[in-house]
Amino acid sequence: MAQAPASAEPSAPENGLLRRLFSSGTGVIALIYVVLYVLFALWDHSALTSGTVVNLANNAAPLAIAAAGETMVVLARGFDLSVAGVISLTNVIMAAYPMEGPDGAAISLLICLAVGGMVGLVNGYLVSVLKLQSIAATLATMIICQGLALVILDAPGGTVSDFVADQLTDVVIGVVPVAGLIILVIVAVWLVFQRTAMGIALYTVGSDEVSAQLSGISVSSTRFIGFVSAGMLYGLAGFMLSAQTATGNPNGGASFLMLTFAAVALGGTSLSGGRGSVVGSILGAGTLMLLQKVLFAGGVSSFYTGIFQGTVLVIAVVFGGLITRLSERRGAR
Amino acid sequence: MNDLTSKQPLSRSTHGAGSMMDNEKLIAESPDLRTTAKIKRETITAVGVFGLTILLIFLSRFVSPALGGWDQVNTVLVLACFLIVVSFGQGIVILIGGLDLSIPALITLSGVLTASWIGVSGDGSWYLFPLIMVICGGIGAVSGIGIVVLNIPPFIMTMATGIIVASSALGFTGGSPRGGASPLLLGLMKGNVMGIPWIILFILFFCVVGVLIQSRTTFGRRLMAIGSNLNAAVLAGIPTGNYIISAYITSAMSAGFAGFMLVGYANGATLRMGDGYLLSSIAAVVVGGSSILGGRGSFVSTIGGTLLLTTLGLVISALGVPQGWKTVIEGCTILFALLLLREDLISFFSRPKSRK
Repeated sequence: MAQAPASAEPSAPENGLLRRLFSSGTGVIALIYVVLYVLFALWDHSALTSGTVVNLANNAAPLAIAAAGETMVVLARGFDLSVAGVISLTNVIMAAYPMEGPDGAAISLLICLAVGGMVGLVNGYLVSVLKLQSIAATLATMIICQGLALVILDAPGGTVSDFVADQLTDVVIGVVPVAGLIILVIVAVWLVFQRTAMGIALYTVGSDEVSAQLSGISVSSTRFIGFVSAGMLYGLAGFMLSAQTATGNPNGGASFLMLTFAAVALGGTSLSGGRGSVVGSILGAGTLMLLQKVLFAGGVSSFYTGIFQGTVLVIAVVFGGLITRLSERRGAR
Repeated sequence: MNDLTSKQPLSRSTHGAGSMMDNEKLIAESPDLRTTAKIKRETITAVGVFGLTILLIFLSRFVSPALGGWDQVNTVLVLACFLIVVSFGQGIVILIGGLDLSIPALITLSGVLTASWIGVSGDGSWYLFPLIMVICGGIGAVSGIGIVVLNIPPFIMTMATGIIVASSALGFTGGSPRGGASPLLLGLMKGNVMGIPWIILFILFFCVVGVLIQSRTTFGRRLMAIGSNLNAAVLAGIPTGNYIISAYITSAMSAGFAGFMLVGYANGATLRMGDGYLLSSIAAVVVGGSSILGGRGSFVSTIGGTLLLTTLGLVISALGVPQGWKTVIEGCTILFALLLLREDLISFFSRPKSRK
């Protein structure tokens, strides 16, 4: 399975980009997103207004950013459960110590990134230096972060600074939501990073650790960087969540644990590493949030949203696997 | 496991010329101590985890004079019983290299169904309890089939069934679960026989059966074989698909049973009753020294893990520490256990001493 990109690329002179998109799973999820949006537009005529689009972007941003971070770890064949802890922790910090004005927002952002990065450093050290199993190690750091969040704020409350809550959920140049812009920046950075030596190393470590080591890639420092950048993205996700909810909740990140992995898997990233992309995960997160809107517009009780989320997850994974196998077979011919 | 201190006779004649013949003769005559000198990894972790738990119970006397006695052992066992049952299932799934994320949803589903179908009256218990178990088992089978037949990673498949089941339970109750526990469940969780709570007798029985299933039956041995090397297990003629599916059925039914117990304990069901058991079941299995990648672990150590985590929780609560710091300490304990159980440390203890 890990050889999908390698075998698909040489045989792709005709419609290479399209097939590569589909074999990586990004195409599948993009297709699902578009279909869902069409359904949404049919049921709810306000779907195409800018207000709805801004709303969707704001809702999806924290999950999308968290999923982007998780992808950095999953690609190198790891799991990072600390996502839930870091989001709770940063959210609580934002609510307990609000800082007004643009300068305050910048400092808050730096604090969030630093907190996330620090947790990432610890995870990276535990996993790549001390060789602990990533699920187990990040489970521990997640619980510690949840605890620290409770220490800072023992019940939901507090207020996020007005500047952050207003400006980051607003639009710029009349139509573009700020949250969407931030996601676009992450996508752009990813597309560049993907082609750097570091990015390629991330994929190589994920698909075959031994051959990565033999070809001179430092496996432990690659994993380390994956964890640190993931932690910083979780910090950013916590920052965006605070902007969206405008208040603090020490358990605010807990619901992100499952949804983040669902978004990553939905986006076509293989949980055994080496295949997938940050773009897919972001689209996966978008799809999960859009699905809620579509079901609401379709008149389905919000109780049953989970049934559809679970089903879509299974279908996307089966479908993605099928397409990978098909493209591998064609590539082999 | 014995003979740790005995020296090989080799060392007596390593000096002097002309001892070559002696040496060879001695090598031929000396008994091979290599296998007997090695302590099994499982034994070390089990002894370590149980030792820590007992130490903690003794030390807790300094925290509060009320603690550290048999009463506390009693409390620990009663509080740990849910986690022991859940961790049995999670442990079996982790043993084959999987992970069951649907456990909280199944506990909740079973609890919600028990409270509303059987309720306080206990009418129809004789067919409703088995029916709920069959429903849970069926959901486990769906997860297993998805993993084996559709080739979906366990992490995703059980997450998907978990989300679906949780959502169904929410829809079934309309957001507010009703009902309570039947006399049977109340009796199991709160009743005594000759001064000993029923639940402790039950949990001891469960532990013995669990240990026997995992370490003494073909089922348990084959699960371990599948976890350590799936391809080898296939080549050995084990019907791996059936075994993997039954592992998920076992886990789902354990979660379902824990749901019954929780309803009896709390005399009712809530929609969040299963939430705490996902991470703590994984933590108990991991603290018990099982590899999260499968193929290694024993239920004895897992029981030790659940007791250690529960005792720790109790002691910290007795200290009067706020919830936040309590959580931080729990996280640090897991980390500490992980660091202690690292490969190189284990191999330091288990390597044959006589050949040093």
